[in-house]
Amino acid sequence: MRDKFTRREFFRRSTVAGTLATVSPSAGSAKPHPPGWRGDTRVATIATNCEMCFWRCGVLAEVANGKVLKLEGNPDHPLTHGRLCARGNAGPKLLYDPDRLKYPMLRVGERGQGRFKRISWDEALDFLAERLAELKQKYGPESVAIFPHGVAPAFFLTLMRAYGTHNMAEPAFAQCRGPREVGYALTFGQGLGSPEPVDLEETKLMVLIGTHIGENIFTSQITAFAEGLSRGAKLIVVDPRFSTAAAKADWWLPIRPGTDIALLLAWMHVLIGEDLYDKEYISKYAQGFTELAAHLKEFTPEWAEAITELPAAKIRATARAMAAAKPAVALHPGRHTTWYGNDTQRARAMAIVTALLGSWGRKGGIFLPTEIKTGKFALPAFPQPKRERADGAGTRYPLASEEQGVTNGLVDATVTGQPYPIKAWIVYGQNVLESIPQRPRTLEAISKLDLMVVVDVLPMEQIYYADLVLPEATYLERFDMPQIAQSAKQPYIAIRQPSIKPLYESKPGWWIAQQMAHRMGLEAYFPWKTPEEYLETLVRPLGVNMDVLLTKGAVAFPGRPYISDRLPEDGPLFPTQSGKIELYSPLLKQLGFDPLPRYTPIEEPPVGYFRLIYGRAPVHSFARSQNNAWLDALMDENVAWINEDAARDLRLSEGQKVILENQDGVRSLPIRVSITKGIRRDCLYMVHGFGHESRRLRLAYHRGASDTGLMTRVKVDPIMGGTGLRVNFVKVVTV
Amino acid sequence: MARYAMVTDLRKCVGCQACTVACNSEWAVPTGFARTHVHPTGVAGTFPHLVSSFYIAQCNHCDHPACIEPCPTGATYQSADGIVHIDRDLCIGCGYCVEACPYDARYINPVIKKADKCDFCWPRVQKGLEPACVLTCTAHAKFFGDLEDQNSDVFKMVYEQGARRLETSEVSIGPNVYYLGKKEDVDLVFASFPPHRPRLLRAGEVWRRYLRPLVLGAIGATFLGQAIAFFHQLRVGEDEFEE
Ligand code: SF4
Ligand code: SF4
Ligand code: SF4
Repeated sequence: MRDKFTRREFFRRSTVAGTLATVSPSAGSAKPHPPGWRGDTRVATIATNCEMCFWRCGVLAEVANGKVLKLEGNPDHPLTHGRLCARGNAGPKLLYDPDRLKYPMLRVGERGQGRFKRISWDEALDFLAERLAELKQKYGPESVAIFPHGVAPAFFLTLMRAYGTHNMAEPAFAQCRGPREVGYALTFGQGLGSPEPVDLEETKLMVLIGTHIGENIFTSQITAFAEGLSRGAKLIVVDPRFSTAAAKADWWLPIRPGTDIALLLAWMHVLIGEDLYDKEYISKYAQGFTELAAHLKEFTPEWAEAITELPAAKIRATARAMAAAKPAVALHPGRHTTWYGNDTQRARAMAIVTALLGSWGRKGGIFLPTEIKTGKFALPAFPQPKRERADGAGTRYPLASEEQGVTNGLVDATVTGQPYPIKAWIVYGQNVLESIPQRPRTLEAISKLDLMVVVDVLPMEQIYYADLVLPEATYLERFDMPQIAQSAKQPYIAIRQPSIKPLYESKPGWWIAQQMAHRMGLEAYFPWKTPEEYLETLVRPLGVNMDVLLTKGAVAFPGRPYISDRLPEDGPLFPTQSGKIELYSPLLKQLGFDPLPRYTPIEEPPVGYFRLIYGRAPVHSFARSQNNAWLDALMDENVAWINEDAARDLRLSEGQKVILENQDGVRSLPIRVSITKGIRRDCLYMVHGFGHESRRLRLAYHRGASDTGLMTRVKVDPIMGGTGLRVNFVKVVTV
Repeated sequence: MARYAMVTDLRKCVGCQACTVACNSEWAVPTGFARTHVHPTGVAGTFPHLVSSFYIAQCNHCDHPACIEPCPTGATYQSADGIVHIDRDLCIGCGYCVEACPYDARYINPVIKKADKCDFCWPRVQKGLEPACVLTCTAHAKFFGDLEDQNSDVFKMVYEQGARRLETSEVSIGPNVYYLGKKEDVDLVFASFPPHRPRLLRAGEVWRRYLRPLVLGAIGATFLGQAIAFFHQLRVGEDEFEE
């Protein structure tokens, strides 16, 4: 401080001080130049998109001297209009996280010790290519499984298909959106995709079932949600917890967990029983109404009251409110939907309510995707794997997505060696210890592997078990496959391009895949030299100007979101087997499942235990962001929400550290108690993603507790293989 | 002349803290500090009739700022459009303004050792941009504008829709940050985060009334070291002097 005080300045200062007035004449005299403000720095602006979660909001990265100074929302982005959430704004702290993986590493100690030696990329890629060749020869290419997440691994997946394996599974299906996609596809012939096509801004009534919009943040969804509310939309929130959304609701229904299907059946009962459904729509577009109506007879609101612990009158009132607002009812299909193992059936029930209200394809309801026809490379055909998929997609789990796979199916196959042994895992951008439940089983699977490779940005806990660790460039340092957002009202194509060169020795995914292809003789699958060239081929048929795309970051096309807009080229409205909305599902019947959703009771917590429920906080993404300094400053640990009466009985005090012990005796790290009226007394809630075990995450290590760690049980959805996660019970142990 | 104000629509705000981080990023606020904070109120009411909301805290650019008087160097000043600025060339980091502000809107930036707070993103506004928090707000819940302009969002929200400002019978210094929302939400926010009485340090008063002219003269006459020692003394002594 001292050296800044030159005499000249002091003279100047004293004059200013001498004429002090509380109001100076004009703002023009302000000299607001705090450090770090880039008003005087010449900045380049790079249009790209965010990957702090997978919504991919439009970003303008402001760069000077090879440094990203700020990420600002891109006002020209067709979906997100310049808005970024807390995580999106905190992107620079991921880029400049000192704990990042910096160079390729080869394991030297035992698995689990986390001892590595630094190697060069050439060594690393040669090693991997050799090992893959060996595995192929010894066990067949299907013995290699990939666990990707997000868009980064896309090129690597092409590589592995070319290598000959189809064993790939991301948690986005069997731990997240799978049941919803399958349940809606069974009913309407198509799933929802991402971004979710829910017409929140135009709706008259929103219905959220366990969906915690406001705590789960996707910027444009929040904007639409808030816009809808401020235009006067009503809101029904079904959640055992008084969520942020519940605080805005006209009706909060604190339902007994696991009984949603009963509530949905009772709603249908009222809609049909009181003749409130959209008759024209149903008779025109749906089949199976008679079976549905007969099925619903006994499912009265009184019946549901006994199950859900919600007053019958409230069930009736909310059903009538929906009917009054139809078809502009946005019953949100949810996103993370793997709860109780009956989840596809719950999604079916939600889809049927949506159909009865005539909301699918209607303004204020669920809108329809519009296809964007991109260019393609003429790649050689992928080799046909000789053996069935190991994860059970299409077999054990008949309706599981073969594109996204069943992560837990791959874990099972690795542990049991059935249908054949899995010998290698390539984990790419996924954290298998946090995303997949039953961690001891995942570790058992890993112990059976000949090879475990992790490609990631941060040293998550799983690198401790890896043989080879490859540092990937962050989303601010790389090209990725562009986003083709067909499920947006105005479909768009948006790019991710590097703002700066990769730091340290990190490399972009496309480069890693391309380099591997050369080593494996698979160059033919990568017939492009640079990602720009790749992009150009993709967008050529769209008539998109590359310069515009590169400077604006995104280009939108006209959408046809409502039934009334559809053209013949959009294909059938309801691409089910019957071409109609299938209220009654012949396909489920054929597969031996309930063709109409049915309520079956789930296991209740034993005395002294709470049902463990979990969710998200607005400032964190899954288990990915806890080491981000800005986000850590806002939330550095999770807390256990406990109902105030339950807390009184247990003599807990606010902020007290406790340990949670689950039904199998598994204990958590210490976690603080948050005592609240805002949760039913049969549940305990915590935010997912904390309690990291990696000592290399210096901020996140051992902060808060891991919900995944307490999920030693799952209930698998027999239709699609999803793992119901809300079937674990915990008791509070004071320390 | 303009009269700038900010309104947060609590019906829309989801407490996501995008505003906080955008502001931190815009102004290179050191980790752990903030120019705008989001405070959840927690849950009130009786089950199942519960209430909960968020208090979005920032400098209020008060009509009668409590932070200007105690500033010994004149670094804190208000322009005619109502924006309260800090001239960082003048600020000596004594922290009197931080103490004085009833809304805890200020902090001493540990990197530059000077006071810092929200200035409605004045440098951005001058360039025709929205304040960083307003642009990024995921819920489009924050509005910035001129209360003299009848067509502005903030004018409508304040004069037609009844946005309220956080004042009490004790502390009424004319804040220009407003909150719009359901009555029970705004009531809960206001009850949960009452402003405290402006804390004028006695040392500050002594300084302002009697010693400032003297010392500034002395500084002019190069008694720089002594002046710094004096400031230091004041700062060290501030706890004892607090009223
Ligand atoms: S919602 Fe937030 S984290 Fe996700 S992409 Fe958008 S800005 Fe990034
Ligand atoms: S960004 Fe907007 S919605 Fe989020 S906390 Fe700030 S004011 Fe509220
Ligand atoms: S809020 Fe505090 S810092 Fe801002 S003008 Fe008012 S008194 Fe000064």
